[in-house]
Amino acid sequence: MASLQRKPGTGLLLVGHGSTQNPDSSPPTHVHADEIRRRGLFDEVACCFWKEEPSMREARHVFEAREVYVVPNFISEGYFTQTVIPRELELSGPRSTRADGTIWKYCEPAGNHSSMTDLLLRRAREIAPELPEEEISLLIVGHGTGLNDNSAVAAKAQAARIAERSRYAEVISCYMEEPPLVANWDELTTAPNVVVVPFFIADGLHSYQDIPVLLGMESEPTAAASQRAVFRHEPRRLRGRNLYYASAIGTEPGFADVILDLVAAFDDKHGTH
Amino acid sequence: MGRIDELLASALAEGRDCIGQIALRTRSEGGYRLTHRDDVGRDDLRVSQTPESAREIATYDDAGVYRPLKTAPNLRHGWALHLPDLAAVRAALEYFYPAALALWLAERDGRLQPTAMRETLGRQTGMYRVTGLLTDPQAEALVGELCAQTRCLRAMRWTKTPGGERIASLPATKFDPEHDPAGAGARVMPLLCAEMCNLVVAEARPVVKAAQAAAAAAASPAPAAAG
Repeated sequence: MASLQRKPGTGLLLVGHGSTQNPDSSPPTHVHADEIRRRGLFDEVACCFWKEEPSMREARHVFEAREVYVVPNFISEGYFTQTVIPRELELSGPRSTRADGTIWKYCEPAGNHSSMTDLLLRRAREIAPELPEEEISLLIVGHGTGLNDNSAVAAKAQAARIAERSRYAEVISCYMEEPPLVANWDELTTAPNVVVVPFFIADGLHSYQDIPVLLGMESEPTAAASQRAVFRHEPRRLRGRNLYYASAIGTEPGFADVILDLVAAFDDKHGTH
Repeated sequence: MGRIDELLASALAEGRDCIGQIALRTRSEGGYRLTHRDDVGRDDLRVSQTPESAREIATYDDAGVYRPLKTAPNLRHGWALHLPDLAAVRAALEYFYPAALALWLAERDGRLQPTAMRETLGRQTGMYRVTGLLTDPQAEALVGELCAQTRCLRAMRWTKTPGGERIASLPATKFDPEHDPAGAGARVMPLLCAEMCNLVVAEARPVVKAAQAAAAAAASPAPAAAG
């Protein structure tokens, strides 16, 4: 976990997707920023979004610090991290020096980092704490497909790492839009208990509304997470199994540590100057 | 104190005590009070004392509907924020009107370089690349509707082409940072728009797509009726 030292004269910018439809998309990014701000490691901590304010273009103006670390709050490398964010923030590589002399350091997204494995394990254990791992099939659900979307690759890699480090009956990555399909969860698994962890940044449309329908928990998409009074009670008895459905991994409070680990990983790889 | 905090302090000192739909007042007990401008005189408001409360207040309108655009003139009523100092006020304003003070400071410094509409549309990729084909008449209609003062309170700083003309379908007040967007003639801290936002870019896509479909339909003979 993170042991980042205070970085005077430095700012941190978290870049989220945001949504014009769903109020639950951006709050995890804000909450992680709150936590990191509380720790006082950076002079300034700010968020920006593709579909909400401030935009990435506006975020170029919010820092007074001379150095800014940019962490994309995205699960995987892909269209957003490789095309949209560099274009909008005018980043030319891992380290960009602007005309005003400020240095912007572009970190990697969270999904591939080793500390994400710890977080997925923690969330999987939290939701079914009484059960022995040997009696659980663990499903890590990613999005899959899409424009230059590597979320499936990241989910698969995390499932492999978890399988090495745990005693779950099986650890399987599956997807909304490509095989193995999460809709076939009962055919993919063998244990009497199935724990499903959505490999998403927020409890937005996909993890809170689409996947429960694919799992058969709901017959049609429900209201947004924030507009439901009570979070779902687990487990559910479905298709002859006990089904446990977690909230999106990006809402885990420990995600702030993953973000700080990404900053530390940048320094390790590219140096601090 | 950072330069954005200094800007906020000097703005208040010169009587700019409104920003967008928010009124900012000092409290006799010390500290500051933020309310909806319509609520300045009310004493029945739900009081919160942390800047982070602004996030939830800014998320939903009076009817409880999500507000994807923070500068839309639909800020919720019925709340007050009592904050101890300018740092807390600035933090709250970041949630109500994200980056507004930073953009204002950049403009005062001469650092804010608005991006022309053609540049914004021209740099789009993926599903929004097609917005580069938006015609000027289509842009006038779209921006005239979506960016009207009744939909967004920002003062538009960008032009259609670099160094070129402004959007002609909007009134002159839309381009004046000193204009009170609430229409009350108050001295305001401005909400600046430095380039076409992604909400408008997203709406440009169906406009172009519909025009392309109409053109394709007009260019090809009508399909023979089935059967």
